[in-house]
Amino acid sequence: MKGADNLYSGRRSVLKATGIIGATAGLGAIAGCLDDPTDDENGDTDELVITQGEFIENPDPNDHITGPYFNVLDPVYEPLFNVTPEFEFESRIVEEWEDTDEGAELTLRDDVVFHNGDEMTAEDVAYTFNRMIDPDLGIESDQAAGLGAIESAEALDETTVLLEHDVAPSLAEFEYANYGRVVNEEWIEEQEQPVAGDDEEAFNGTGPYQVVEYEPDVQLVLEPFEDYWGEEATFERVVFNEDGESSGRVNALQTGESDIVDNVIPEDVPDVDDEDGIEIRNETSLRNVFLVMNTGVEPFDSMEFRQALNYAVDNEGIVNDILGGYGEPMTQPIPDGVFGHNPDLEPYEQDLEQAEELIEESGYAGEEITLYAPEGRYLNDADVAQTAADQIDQLENVDCELDIVPFPDISDANSAPYDDDEMPFYLIGWGVITGDSDYGLAPFFTEEAPQETYRNEEISEMIFESQTIEDEDEREELLQEINEQLRDDAAWVYLHSQDSVYGVREDLEWEPRTDEDIHLWEIDS
Amino acid sequence: MAFGKFLLKRSLQGVLVVWGVVTVLFGLRAVTPGDPVNLIVDPAVDHETRERIRQELGLDQPIYVQYFEYLQDLLVGDLGYSYQSSRPVTTMVIERVPATLELALAATVVALVIAIPLGVISGTRRNEPADYGATSFSLVGISTPNFWLGIMLILLLAVQLDVFPTGRRPVAFHDALWMFLTTFYVGDLLTWFHHIILPAVTLGTYFTALITRLTRSGMLDEYGKPYVTATQAKGIPETLVRYKHVLRNTMIPIITVLGLQLGTLIGGAVVTETVFSWPGLGLRLIAAIHNLDWPLIQGIIIFVGISYVIINIAVDAIYAKLNPRVLDE
Repeated sequence: MKGADNLYSGRRSVLKATGIIGATAGLGAIAGCLDDPTDDENGDTDELVITQGEFIENPDPNDHITGPYFNVLDPVYEPLFNVTPEFEFESRIVEEWEDTDEGAELTLRDDVVFHNGDEMTAEDVAYTFNRMIDPDLGIESDQAAGLGAIESAEALDETTVLLEHDVAPSLAEFEYANYGRVVNEEWIEEQEQPVAGDDEEAFNGTGPYQVVEYEPDVQLVLEPFEDYWGEEATFERVVFNEDGESSGRVNALQTGESDIVDNVIPEDVPDVDDEDGIEIRNETSLRNVFLVMNTGVEPFDSMEFRQALNYAVDNEGIVNDILGGYGEPMTQPIPDGVFGHNPDLEPYEQDLEQAEELIEESGYAGEEITLYAPEGRYLNDADVAQTAADQIDQLENVDCELDIVPFPDISDANSAPYDDDEMPFYLIGWGVITGDSDYGLAPFFTEEAPQETYRNEEISEMIFESQTIEDEDEREELLQEINEQLRDDAAWVYLHSQDSVYGVREDLEWEPRTDEDIHLWEIDS
Repeated sequence: MAFGKFLLKRSLQGVLVVWGVVTVLFGLRAVTPGDPVNLIVDPAVDHETRERIRQELGLDQPIYVQYFEYLQDLLVGDLGYSYQSSRPVTTMVIERVPATLELALAATVVALVIAIPLGVISGTRRNEPADYGATSFSLVGISTPNFWLGIMLILLLAVQLDVFPTGRRPVAFHDALWMFLTTFYVGDLLTWFHHIILPAVTLGTYFTALITRLTRSGMLDEYGKPYVTATQAKGIPETLVRYKHVLRNTMIPIITVLGLQLGTLIGGAVVTETVFSWPGLGLRLIAAIHNLDWPLIQGIIIFVGISYVIINIAVDAIYAKLNPRVLDE
């Protein structure tokens, strides 16, 4: 055998060498010369690639309510209003708006066109609102929860829509100005409900970009809509895609495959910091993370006990040590930047002695409690919960242990009554995404609310009252008072508002927003 | 036993296996915590709406009613609707099959291209440095977890050396091929190739190691048989003996393993697809598990189960044709 091998050794050596050289050259050619359509590392400013941890659940703009969903769909189905980062409302499709005795009257532009060429009418806008609040029109919209004050919508003429409501004008404004991506009534009624197509034909908005390619859960490719009524689109091509792992998104940013990535976890921040041409940009979000206590269950029915837990936990330390500084300690249920936030309140500062005294006062000394928490739902949530549980456990007169459970368990606990004792103490997060306190207060602190965890008749009445006060200043004052009472009454163990942390190509002009929205019209290269 | 009867028996066994998978999955769904309504609607949605959705989905029915309704729908190919996207699960499964198949087949090609020559070298140069190299490679390949390998390949070849993309599949193979056939534009095909190399190598490494070992032991086995000595004695060139006779006979068990492994690759691509954001069934399964989207989880696992059963029956059938003694057993 060896002899035979030797006979061919000269020829084989040449072939081997040629093969290796060929394979190396081939790979090099492929790697070096391929023009990846998602790769703009050479400074192709006409294309923008945004990689998010989550994508759109379906192409229907009236169905869901998450930030990543709106980020992808807003360039296609533009909002009715421009919402500034300070939560002020500016005209967009709606040119003027005022509150009358019957409700809010919206005056619309008359030159708005859908991507299929149909003109947008007041009927379309009224249909859009009714579609979200009336499940008989085809979908159970998550956005209905944010439009709780709007009772019905009606087109008064070609360009005027009346939104009936019986709440304070400013509360109604926060609701209708945040939701309502207009759909074409005639077109949408031909679609399955909710719209669930799997190609570019499943979209028909009025926004500055139209969809040219769509692969569900993978990517959406946009190009400018030529008949758009407003300013010309900045980018010739925009790609939204998804990568569920923070490290994967950061890798895509490092290699130039992506220009903006969201939800960079603290552990991955140094990878962005160490790389030239990209950087971290962050903003405190409207998403609070806190410990719920069902106040209909012992020992959480005691205000002193609840206050003790707040004094036991070092929320500033948690922000610095567990979140890498990417967050702000909570001072009250409503985060800074939201209408009704009380700027005069301070966080509970860790004071173990006072906590132990309060436990004694509560009459629940020696209690054993369990904190339930999810893992992977919020920024470093399990570590946050472990630290909080340890800090409570170090009190002499209370024992606390942690139980990590699947998020659906937490979700079930959150929709259980306030006196449900199966899981009465748990970690959860909530984003006050409408920019008004009502969205953060009413679901948790009014009687029989879907997520009622704390019952206090006085507070509940105050919240209902706040929904009807017409004078904005007066309403803000009452909301601030509610926040103060909830803080002093220790309705929750207040932890932190977490930051939104993005990795961004350095030369992009764009600043993150508190509401976590990424608006293409706010990005320049 | 006649071949037809053998096939019928195997098919009936397959149906039982699929029914078992369906039932176990349904049982898991029933005992898993989490009210599906909380997964479908926003937490702030009122109690009345939640109750209405529960009724619409039939979740207020006793569990055995839900089970039989699910079986009934399954028989007509209706896997229900995703909680998360409201899209038909059947569509969501089928649209992800091409990406997973592309990856599984590419991994198989990678495995064969590397493993067969390595196995041959190793088998013909027993106890020489080349053999030690190949067997060491096999050992490392079999022992390397592919999530680690995938991440290392990304860090080295994508992030540090910028030779390959970090993941994703910007174009489907069938679209790229169609583009090439209709316009002779090769760019899409090359882009696809560029993106699939790292995932295919990652997924194919374990398989490569396995086939290398099989080829090596098969070659050694065959070389020990009298017909090899006879052909060598006839003066037939060694290359011909090695490739035409020895390797050909070695390939029979390898092809059997290949068929069975294809099923494993379809189901086992979950980790690789996740690491590379490769939009196949595995990535969709992970997202579905993350969202506890049970209709979709059931749909994907049932599909993978059925694929595995069909591939096994096909392999059994081919084996029975090649080796009729199996029918008697």
